[in-house]
Amino acid sequence: MTRYGWILLILSWTFIIALNVFCFVKVLGKKR
Amino acid sequence: MAVIMAVAGSAIGLGNFLRFPAKAAANGGGAFMIPYFISFLLLGLPLMWIEWTLGRYGGGFEHGTAPGIFHSLLQKNRFVKYFGVIGIFGPLVIFIYYTYIESWTLAYSFFAVMGKYAALTDQPAMQSFLRGFQGLEHNACFQGMGWAYFFFLVTFALNIFVIYYGIRGGIERLCKVALPLLFLCAFLLMFRVFMLEPQTSVHPDRTILNGLGFMWNPDFAALKSARVWLEAAGQIFFTLSVGIGVILTYASYLSRTDDVVLSGLTASGTNELTEVVLGGSIIIPAAFVFFGQNEMQAIARSGTFNLGFVTMPLVLNQLPWAGFFGFVWFLLLFLAGVTSSVSLAQPTIAFLEDEFDISREKAVGIFGVAAFIFCQPCIFLLGKGVVDELDFWGGTFFLVVFATIEVVLFVWVFGMEKAWDEIHHGADLTLPRFYKLIIKYVTPLFLFFILGAWFWQEWIPVIFMKKVSAECRPYILATRLGLALLFIILALLVKIAWRRRKERGAAAQ
Repeated sequence: MTRYGWILLILSWTFIIALNVFCFVKVLGKKR
Repeated sequence: MAVIMAVAGSAIGLGNFLRFPAKAAANGGGAFMIPYFISFLLLGLPLMWIEWTLGRYGGGFEHGTAPGIFHSLLQKNRFVKYFGVIGIFGPLVIFIYYTYIESWTLAYSFFAVMGKYAALTDQPAMQSFLRGFQGLEHNACFQGMGWAYFFFLVTFALNIFVIYYGIRGGIERLCKVALPLLFLCAFLLMFRVFMLEPQTSVHPDRTILNGLGFMWNPDFAALKSARVWLEAAGQIFFTLSVGIGVILTYASYLSRTDDVVLSGLTASGTNELTEVVLGGSIIIPAAFVFFGQNEMQAIARSGTFNLGFVTMPLVLNQLPWAGFFGFVWFLLLFLAGVTSSVSLAQPTIAFLEDEFDISREKAVGIFGVAAFIFCQPCIFLLGKGVVDELDFWGGTFFLVVFATIEVVLFVWVFGMEKAWDEIHHGADLTLPRFYKLIIKYVTPLFLFFILGAWFWQEWIPVIFMKKVSAECRPYILATRLGLALLFIILALLVKIAWRRRKERGAAAQ
């Protein structure tokens, strides 16, 4: 795994996980 | 929340675990993620929001499918509803072949537990097993396609059973159970894959980190290729289930105050988590550990079915508890498949219910009989290229055409200001202003570019069947005629439905 491979993996995963956390916090907050 | 899960279930399909890793590995590895995320932001998310909004808008006029929804947008135009026929035709065509492929995953999960392919150790043997199962050859494992047909019947019946209980009673309940189970299976497999050790001292480079590297190390030269950008845009299309017509139907059940911005974003985010984080961490890294760099190039290009039904069972066969992990892998694919296939039936059923005023039970009955008959050529003429042909027209070409029509109608005919207000009605989140420009100009241009590139590169070989063998041509031609006939029948049904509506309106006055 090269340095650029790690960078792309970490950026992609961070973006997706952050998007999911943001959405589910909003959805669950709205449900309450 | 339940509708978000239903849309996410529709989007999460076999492609998340098979198509995405194969496309990424074959198109620049980590570099593929750059056009992929650009397509997600410029094409996927805008189309998601447009479909959710269009669906909710049409639902307000008691229309749950594209012909009625398009008519609601432009009530004075007599022809606009016929563009909506694609939104019923596409999902019906995909359902026809998708259910059969989904049944293979159920069959293989059974075979994994029974150890039916446990003794097979190389690619040719596993390929022969698959071909025998599909009825394409007779071998020691299969003498006919009895198993394939049996599992097709079970899968088809299960789909009809879920659909019969409706969106709330059937599909949403299925997704509430199937999606958490799917995530559990995927995390279990990902964890197992990450624990893999190099298999021999002869190949110490075959580690899981190098497997992830095969998937993620960027080849930036690939970004210069138009094909890579088109592949990335295509993958976003398929994975989010936009341009099919299913989201329109689901969103038509929402009320005017429901938040479509957040719902669309959440369904897309869940799908991306499954695809990039889970789908990208299972099959390619695992196969790399067992087959190494050189063989992986060929495997990644050998197609998604080969990856799922040949390579992965071989990998799992070499692990302790092979039967269990094989079962988990194919159960994962089956769950991903069934949550998608039940959604594909909805536009046709909603069309019959809404526009012909018939009961859900009767609509499901009509759909079930028609779909069962249409499935038969896929099963018995698989080797003649019928499934590939249906996939091209129903699952690829018309998706892009339909999405282009949706965007043009919503943004340019309905009007951007009204569209922007409609998207934000009931929404907690306000989209950044630049998304107005993206939805108005970038998304339609992107779609026209994809269509234009296809016409430029592909239309002559496709239309004249240049890549089809002489033996298969009559079957492909018959499939095309059948598809054209199906489209005409659906268009006639739309015509009849509107004439009856008009007559009823006149009688009421």
